[in-house]
Amino acid sequence: MRKAFVVSAALLLVAFALQFILAAVGAFTKPSGDDAYALHSVNGMAVIPVLSLLTALFAALAKAPGRLVGLAVLPLGLVVVQALLAMLANASTDAAGVSTAIGLTLGGLHALNGIIAVHVVVGVLRAARRLGGPVPLGDTRAAVREGEPA
Amino acid sequence: MTTGSLLVADLVLAVLAAAGWLGGGAAAAARRRPLALGLAAVALLATFGRAVTVVALARAGWWFAAEKVLVAAPLSLAAVVVAGPRLLRTAGDIRSVAVPLLFAGYAVSAALLVTILHGYPASTSVGLLAVAGVGTATAVSWRFLDARPSRTASRAAVVVTVAALLAGTGLAVAPGAAPAVPHGHGYPQVRTSDEPTRRFILTAGTATVRVGGRDVAAWAFNAQVPGPELTATVGDVVEVTLRNRNIGRGVTLHWHGYDVPNSQDGVPGVTQAAVLPGQEFVYRFRADQAGTYWYHTHAVSDVGVRMGLYGVLVVRPGPPTGLDVTVPVHTLSGRPLPAARVERVEAGVPVRLRLINTDNTTHRYALAGTAFQVAAIDGFDLRGPTPLAGTTVLIPAGGRYDLVFTAPATPVALFVDGRAVYSTGEVSTATGGWPVLDPLTYGAPAPAPWTRFDREFTLVLDRGLDLHGLLPRYAHTVNGAADPDIPPQVVRRGDVVRFTIVNRSQTVHPWHLHGHHVLVLSRTRTAAVGSPLWLDSFDVRPGEVWEVAFRADNPGMWANHCHNLGHADAGMTLHLMYS
Repeated sequence: MRKAFVVSAALLLVAFALQFILAAVGAFTKPSGDDAYALHSVNGMAVIPVLSLLTALFAALAKAPGRLVGLAVLPLGLVVVQALLAMLANASTDAAGVSTAIGLTLGGLHALNGIIAVHVVVGVLRAARRLGGPVPLGDTRAAVREGEPA
Repeated sequence: MTTGSLLVADLVLAVLAAAGWLGGGAAAAARRRPLALGLAAVALLATFGRAVTVVALARAGWWFAAEKVLVAAPLSLAAVVVAGPRLLRTAGDIRSVAVPLLFAGYAVSAALLVTILHGYPASTSVGLLAVAGVGTATAVSWRFLDARPSRTASRAAVVVTVAALLAGTGLAVAPGAAPAVPHGHGYPQVRTSDEPTRRFILTAGTATVRVGGRDVAAWAFNAQVPGPELTATVGDVVEVTLRNRNIGRGVTLHWHGYDVPNSQDGVPGVTQAAVLPGQEFVYRFRADQAGTYWYHTHAVSDVGVRMGLYGVLVVRPGPPTGLDVTVPVHTLSGRPLPAARVERVEAGVPVRLRLINTDNTTHRYALAGTAFQVAAIDGFDLRGPTPLAGTTVLIPAGGRYDLVFTAPATPVALFVDGRAVYSTGEVSTATGGWPVLDPLTYGAPAPAPWTRFDREFTLVLDRGLDLHGLLPRYAHTVNGAADPDIPPQVVRRGDVVRFTIVNRSQTVHPWHLHGHHVLVLSRTRTAAVGSPLWLDSFDVRPGEVWEVAFRADNPGMWANHCHNLGHADAGMTLHLMYS
């Protein structure tokens, strides 16, 4: 189970990295349209939530310490917030579909929340690897603390 | 505060409450007392804020608040009752309140997920599953935080969770009574047998067209985007032969806003089979209503129309007088159509601008340099239109406005979203800040043709998780269901039917009923006081409630859908059928 935890956390990190790449793909697609972000949407609304859920589940099944389980659950919440921010940013337009200041602010928060989520996942992966590695049990707790975001 | 902003505020408060409780729980587990208490205080404040927004939403209409009152309110109350008293006695180890705070977080999060993933209508099974989820998450937290509850508490929790899970699952999988749209009955064959007086041939195929100085790949009728402009005079019998050269997914022709007999409506799988490559289909109908309309494919309509399978249909009451200009606005591969056009017009010439929105979203049209009247909307003349100046009109996806004016000696320009599309000379007027015309208050009223309604239907537009297909999808829903699981609306010929259309989602839904024009009665409880408005496409914005009515006088099976065609593809399509 510890191995599964490491693997799913690593896959989650890869999915997050891919998510940034797909956001850039969307931003630089010419001409821009709703379809530009199709891959970003699929990855963000299907792949990442499933991997987040699996990571949290494997953390629990691997009998990771409570803090680490908590940390592993956190991306799930951040992903829900992330989807909501995107939805509200898209919805915050005037009657003719032109962006408003509120919408752009929410769009900015979408990026910020994404950065926070990646930091959390990096922390989870580090802690998972220490948990799975040949480290004496006594050191695990210290390693987990170190892996947490400040 | 509009209902739309209330919906957003309520969502934000729900997220804050959930994050506050969960964060507080985590902080308590880590023995960070001030942080835990601070986050719990945020959660409490957000919960009280939600009490205000939910009451306000319930006053705006039960549809907006149903699941918030029936699911979120009890769960939030449980959160406050369980976590609140524990916060008042935290003299000892703060870790002891971790599980109560986490429980509160799970309860509020579950309610939030019910709103986002299920929405309207509130259902017992979803509420029970939410309770089961909260119970399970709490039990797991007990275990991981080594916070053994009393034996009674743990037994009660297990019993409640298991019972909720069983009952919720049972109710969810119980066979519903949603009759699917009856397909495969064969298609209606009735069409006019009169000899055609106007004949057209439209051949659909892939093409490369030039837009804004670039060659782009398109799907086109007769290799042009938009397709040929079809014109007729009232009384003509129009015959259009549709051929498909190479559009693999098939094409049809739907006469948007033209209330043709059902067999000619061009909805694949409902009124005809899609026309596949090498095949053809002949449409024939009598042009008996004058006005501005358009045609487009209804097979894979979202992609097909966006790629260019659309064109203009204009029916004139007699020989054209003055200058008659059609402006079909479209976005092809991200570039705006039509190209800007400048022509000299002599002063005194009567001009009619036929503005058409063939996109999926609303456009803003501003006519600068002259006063004008809105003569018609969606092909139907308005009663007593008054002159307007310095006013923009917003045209919904699929909608049409006819603007008329007498050409002045000075130049005139039409701006679409700030871009000059048609002008008679140089005009440099900033139109961005102009007020928007509300058609519900424009023109002269007339007594309503009906005072009683034989049938009433309510359509609540939302988003939700749809698990009925092969893959789960986050669908655009009507009354909690997505196509093809939305029960058809059944009417009898001659019925006067009233629709109440409620938008509780975060996006605009341009509503479009085939085969009928609907009379607008009211919007968000404010009656329409202007000219009678007979529309076929109207924007229902977030938080709005539209009441419209029509006489069921065109028998058949009619699509009734959102004309943001991406939404229609993602489930927001149902059918109106005659018994």
